[in-house]
Amino acid sequence: MSESAVAEIGLRPAQPRRLLKPETQTAMLFLLPSFLGFMIFMALPILASLALSFTNWQLLTTPSFVGFQNYIKLFTVDPAFYTILGNTLFFAVEYLAVNIIVSLTLAVWISSLKRGKAIFRVIFFLPTFTPTIAASVVWLLIFTPDGLADSVIRWLGLGLPNFLLSSSWAMQAVVLVTLWANVGYNVVMFNAALDLVPKHYLEAAMIDGAGPWRRFWRIRLPLISPTVFFATVMTAITSLQVFDEIFAMTRGGPGSATATLGFAIYQKGFTNFQMGYASALAWVMFVMIMGLTILQFHMQRKWVHYDD
Amino acid sequence: MKVLKKTLLLAAIGGSLFATAASAEQINLTWQMWSGSDADTKGWQHLAEMVTAKYPDIKVTLTTTGWVDYWTRLPVLAASGQLADIVSMQSLRMPNFYSLLEPLNDRIAADKFDVGAFTPSIIGGMSVDKQLYGLPYDVGPWVIYYNQDALEAAGIPLPKPGWTLAEFTDAAKKLTKDGKYGFGITPQNYSVLASAWGDKYVNDSGELDLTNQSAIGAADRVIGFAAKDKIAPLVPSSADAGTVIQGRFNSGNVAMYIDGPWSIIGMKDKARFKIGLTTLPRENDKDLAAVTAGSGFGIATTSKNKDAAWKAIQVLTSPEALQYLAEQGRALPARTASQSSWYKVAAKDITNGGEALDYSLAHSVPYAITNNWAAVENLFNQYFPPAFGGSADAKQTMETIQSLAQQ
Repeated sequence: MSESAVAEIGLRPAQPRRLLKPETQTAMLFLLPSFLGFMIFMALPILASLALSFTNWQLLTTPSFVGFQNYIKLFTVDPAFYTILGNTLFFAVEYLAVNIIVSLTLAVWISSLKRGKAIFRVIFFLPTFTPTIAASVVWLLIFTPDGLADSVIRWLGLGLPNFLLSSSWAMQAVVLVTLWANVGYNVVMFNAALDLVPKHYLEAAMIDGAGPWRRFWRIRLPLISPTVFFATVMTAITSLQVFDEIFAMTRGGPGSATATLGFAIYQKGFTNFQMGYASALAWVMFVMIMGLTILQFHMQRKWVHYDD
Repeated sequence: MKVLKKTLLLAAIGGSLFATAASAEQINLTWQMWSGSDADTKGWQHLAEMVTAKYPDIKVTLTTTGWVDYWTRLPVLAASGQLADIVSMQSLRMPNFYSLLEPLNDRIAADKFDVGAFTPSIIGGMSVDKQLYGLPYDVGPWVIYYNQDALEAAGIPLPKPGWTLAEFTDAAKKLTKDGKYGFGITPQNYSVLASAWGDKYVNDSGELDLTNQSAIGAADRVIGFAAKDKIAPLVPSSADAGTVIQGRFNSGNVAMYIDGPWSIIGMKDKARFKIGLTTLPRENDKDLAAVTAGSGFGIATTSKNKDAAWKAIQVLTSPEALQYLAEQGRALPARTASQSSWYKVAAKDITNGGEALDYSLAHSVPYAITNNWAAVENLFNQYFPPAFGGSADAKQTMETIQSLAQQ
């Protein structure tokens, strides 16, 4: 830049200062509908539910303020709460672990195929198109006593009880169906991430004598760790909110074996009309999800590798 | 004289114009109802038009929702002040929702409306504390459907209305063979059977009382069908155990099951055997006490046109409207005089259908339920299946449900 040019710039009359640049204003304009939508349909209901959690509101009557009574009742009186909490955590941990392992395994297998990658991606992704309630009803008929699952178990001589009648096995049926319905998302995501791993890293490792397991563990997994992290966080959040499969297949039973927070919120709110109490439960769930997500973000520093 | 005539003429014209203007003032009523099919909706729309045919100044706009969604939406609509003028209500839900509806006793007395024309048990079902909150259009006692072919093949005489528990159990045992069951039971059948046997699970104050000897005794018998006698298949705690059992009955896997007359129409097309109807079994030394359920129409307390809505619900439950519904096979009319029309249409191919329903209605009683009945039924659904499977007894099951229902 020449001296004269610098002088020219300096001599320009001062422009009126704008609060936002024109491109920022345009961006804000385009973002406005979704921001308004978020405020009206997300932020306000969330705040309303927080306010409601301090009330006794039976939907048909005016809410009355009860302070922390709903939370106190939840933690000290309700005999079902800790069972529900335990079931929710049990489901979330088992489902998260199984989902990540199965989807990663399938994605690695698909990426190793020379032909038919697209077909298998579609096959595993197909269940995610199916409405969960409809799929769960079909699975209910499969698992119902004397149904297909019982026949297969008998034929294989496994000696297992009917899943939906057993307090110890009912949750496994829910995990299985949820896995069947949702594993496709992570399979497709991991598969895409694996395909982006530079080939020359793997070829160099092969030349150095690294076997398939070592190549996966030392090269591919670290390189796709941001995707694995994202999938882990999202799957953990959705698993803590599980509802559809439980609503259709078990209604929280047998006994309270599959009653989770998501189901309990629906049951208290829309069956028992204890909307204040249901809101308190929802906030307990919110805190759990938030806590778990913060923990995951904290732990990612140790195992997620970003290509800075 | 001419002036007088002209004045009278003008007055007459003016009066008639005023009258026309008054009658032309349209009253728009809204009506919320459930519907399971287009045919259902068409039927309800026909009833809405019957109101306008009788009262040209009243127009009824119908809004329909699926059965399950209806009960989720109803409290939400009420909470947000969007209830329709005419609210459809099922008797089993009345204790939950009666506060949304206008009490009708004063209007009934003022208009000398004949409540006696309806089956008494459904008038009881639509009432809370002796105050009527809705006019019923249908009524249905729970009955036993049986696979006539299976009974005849097993050499069992067709059950007569009023049969006993011993006769029922004996028949179910004979029918349980070759992987098929004599009886299909669901957790929700508990209260229906306990009532039929005269056992009390709700005390005189209307509170849930599942831990008294009578209630536990009934639970022991109900659970025993699956756990002890093994005459009924096990059912999961699913969204709709009733549909599963109905499916097993239609496929010939279960020979008898409990349902209401509302299921007849759909069932005849699905089952490939002769269907018969009989009453619920009574306790050996007691009379049958068959509970009924039914539905009707109430006026929302928030309605701005309550008088018009009162006129409209009288039309919706009039003999003509119920005759129409009966001929469509839609509902067993709540009006006693219209019930034979329904037998002729809906129950004509069902063995002993009319007799079983007549007997049940003659022995019908209001369904004893609490104001948190939906929650109690959920708990039945959760806690009876393990007991059916033998992992809990009647006493434990009832104590757990009683304790959780009070939370």
